[in-house]
Amino acid sequence: MNQRAAILSLITPAYLWLALTILLPLSAMLYYSFLSDVPIGNREVSWTTENYRTFFEKAFYSELMLRSFKLGAEVTSICLLLGFPCALALAKSIRGRTKEALFLLIILPFWSNALVRIFSWTMVLRGNGILEYSINWLLPGTGPLDLMFTYPAILLGLVHSYLPYMILTCYISIDAIDNQLLEAARSLGAGKLTILFRLIVPLALPGIVAGSFLIFIPVIGSFMEPRLLGGRNGTFIGTIIEDQFTAVFNWPLGAALSFIMMGLVLLILFGFSPLVRRLK
Amino acid sequence: MKLRVFLKFFSCQWLIVLILGGSFISAAEIRVLNWQGYGTDESWALEMFKERTGIEVVHDYFNSEQEMLTKLRTNPGVYDVVLINSAYTGQAAKEGLIEAIDTTGMVNVGDLSPSMRNDPKLVADGKTYGVAWVWGVTSFAIDRGDFKNAPNSIEALWDPSHAGRVGWRDDAVEAVQLAAIALGQDINNPSDLKAIRKKLRALKPQIRTFWSSEDEWNQFFSANEFDLATYWSGSASRSKNAFGLPVEFILPKEGAIGWLDGLSIPMNVPNRNEAKAFINFMIDPDFYVKWDTEVGAPTSANAKAVSMLPPDAFNRTTFSDSKKVANVQFMGPMEDGLREKIVELWQETKAYFQN
Amino acid sequence: MIFLKWISRIYLICILLFLYVPILVMIALSFNESQLYRIPIEWSTRWYEALASNSKLHSATLNSLTVALLSTCLSTSMGTAVALAFFRHDFRAKRLLQVMIFPPITIPWLIIGTAMLVFFFWVGIGRGLHAMILGHVALSLPYVVIVVSARLKSFDSALEDAAKSLGASYWQTTFWVTVPWLMPGIIAAALFAFAVSLDQFVISYFLAAPGFTTLPVEIYTAIRKGFTPEINAISTLVIFLSMLLLLGVSRFYRFGGRN
Repeated sequence: MNQRAAILSLITPAYLWLALTILLPLSAMLYYSFLSDVPIGNREVSWTTENYRTFFEKAFYSELMLRSFKLGAEVTSICLLLGFPCALALAKSIRGRTKEALFLLIILPFWSNALVRIFSWTMVLRGNGILEYSINWLLPGTGPLDLMFTYPAILLGLVHSYLPYMILTCYISIDAIDNQLLEAARSLGAGKLTILFRLIVPLALPGIVAGSFLIFIPVIGSFMEPRLLGGRNGTFIGTIIEDQFTAVFNWPLGAALSFIMMGLVLLILFGFSPLVRRLK
Repeated sequence: MKLRVFLKFFSCQWLIVLILGGSFISAAEIRVLNWQGYGTDESWALEMFKERTGIEVVHDYFNSEQEMLTKLRTNPGVYDVVLINSAYTGQAAKEGLIEAIDTTGMVNVGDLSPSMRNDPKLVADGKTYGVAWVWGVTSFAIDRGDFKNAPNSIEALWDPSHAGRVGWRDDAVEAVQLAAIALGQDINNPSDLKAIRKKLRALKPQIRTFWSSEDEWNQFFSANEFDLATYWSGSASRSKNAFGLPVEFILPKEGAIGWLDGLSIPMNVPNRNEAKAFINFMIDPDFYVKWDTEVGAPTSANAKAVSMLPPDAFNRTTFSDSKKVANVQFMGPMEDGLREKIVELWQETKAYFQN
Repeated sequence: MIFLKWISRIYLICILLFLYVPILVMIALSFNESQLYRIPIEWSTRWYEALASNSKLHSATLNSLTVALLSTCLSTSMGTAVALAFFRHDFRAKRLLQVMIFPPITIPWLIIGTAMLVFFFWVGIGRGLHAMILGHVALSLPYVVIVVSARLKSFDSALEDAAKSLGASYWQTTFWVTVPWLMPGIIAAALFAFAVSLDQFVISYFLAAPGFTTLPVEIYTAIRKGFTPEINAISTLVIFLSMLLLLGVSRFYRFGGRN
């Protein structure tokens, strides 16, 4: 058996598929981002850099881009703060069947539809909704909370959606830490905080980094969550891009904005790459 | 005896087949593109239509005129009937998205009030691109529980005593046109976009949330998310009649945005005859009277249908009073350049709204 | 120490509450009579009854399952092949190709979805079932490669050598020795792929055609353009389906790691 032929027949289908669904579409989008209009029907189309120029000339596009990245960073940090202790508790202080059952319970909601989860938050947060109702029942006279259609509402929904990612990745790397190592550190007189920050956190770094990227990347491109939970405060670069494709029919501008966003993501990944390389 | 029954049956069926152009046998299905909850998707109406013609109707929805145009552009040969605000009919025709409709055989077209049937926004070069269906106005509606006296000015939307309690539709053209009304400008050719920009920015403390569909409006209203919100006249009467909400529609003294909606047939329509049968049914008084009295509707373009409404009907009293509707400015076609400016203005304003 | 243990237990319970409360609320409201979601809840099963005759949601569910099933078959077989190639062979572009498998999860879905929309529209592939399968397979490929590779790590190559020395050809070895041994990993990967496809909203949203939508797209459209608690009812059913699926995965793939 010719090895070359074997390799080719194993990998060709998958990479052809990826070329058709990722590489070519991204190239088509790059091409579109330099057009003046969508080339259908009898529209006159010419080459232009105007779509990119628009981004730099109109301050509000970059403000919204920044806002999206800020949202991504905040959601990621909150997920880390909530998820890491959770993964730690799960991996190191609970054993046996309870552990496995709890673990399943934590990733179960992650298995339900993301949209369904956001939808459930609208039920909880809305005016006269469950939250207001129960708080007013416990503490009469609290009045409306006005949580719906605020920035915190978006944060809440996104953290809820992506928290299991962080727990999952952190858990896997914490679980791999040998207990004997921790015992050894303890017997040498290391305090709990020392063990946590000098031993566990560095060893769990691959999980933390992986979880952060798995959360950060989808969040900056989110448009459904801000629309449903954010109301007046739900305008982000993601919603603007979606508008260009579904409503305004300015595909070239949408493509240009997408490419700028992707460029920034790659820049961030590149910035983190020394760290990632060290982990390997 | 048997033969006579057979012949009778045969000739009846033949007649129906002739009238419907063969649709009875094929039991066709047509696809209608419209706003959600806007008449064409009333289940009783679809049953009535199916009983009469055997045609099934399925729906697809849009949340803005721009989205509707995008759907037509990217889905050629999919839709049979589309609802188009007459301000956009000319643009759709020019882009080759809709075809000229031959209205011969559509019996109810004759009852349309001539000014609307021949409205220059719907008819070009003697060809009908949209059949006038209903018209109404856009301004705002209030929650009666939150007001002692109903306001009579559009400035209520900017009133600080309702800060954070206003609902607003997320639509660039509508937002700019409402600001134009408040500032006394021409809605189709606003003279001072700078002033409009300032007026829209002043909404920042006012707006609680955006709404995008009638259903969403009802949900938010019933959850007490707002005291008052921009709204459409027909929808307000639906919220009142069909959902029992304490809604009152306001026709402000500064005026309001008027619109005339037409039904059109897209280019490369899959079922032209069925589409025409459906449009004809939509302007039938049988449908309209039931729609307005039991559900709530805007005003029909069919004069005969309006005259069959009960004498105290909102659509007969308010909109037949020429003094009350004198300030209504009707939406007209808009230049591409202006529309692009408006879309960008609204996006910038929304970015400014963020806390 | 005991104190710390209790704190961590309480903390875990709080996290679980946070994760489950909204879902429980949504389920509860699916049994609520009021169309406008008024509370207190008046119990009723009317939305489930309405669901039984909602053909739009039925066909969307059927579409979701069709897309998920077909794309699972495709991505599992292609992904397993890629994982095998990486495991067995060393070749020049291997590092590059390994990196190339990840764009589907390292580029925001919004960008991938809109790019597919532009490209498919442009070259005439269009939208609908076939377009969605194209997209979903690309998205689930990386997951399949990761899961199957993980299982391959503990595979003993001596097994393949033994088969070969007994005269089995390359492909005979693959299909009669390696694949059966890999089966638990392949099944886990398939279930992963199925769940990814079933859950996928963003890509489907841009590739849905009028008359062909999937359940998540239909739910989103309903939330934006008019809905009744039928949406809660169908969401409840979806959650239970997904959870069953996860229990299936956990049978083949140890999430808890070593014990």
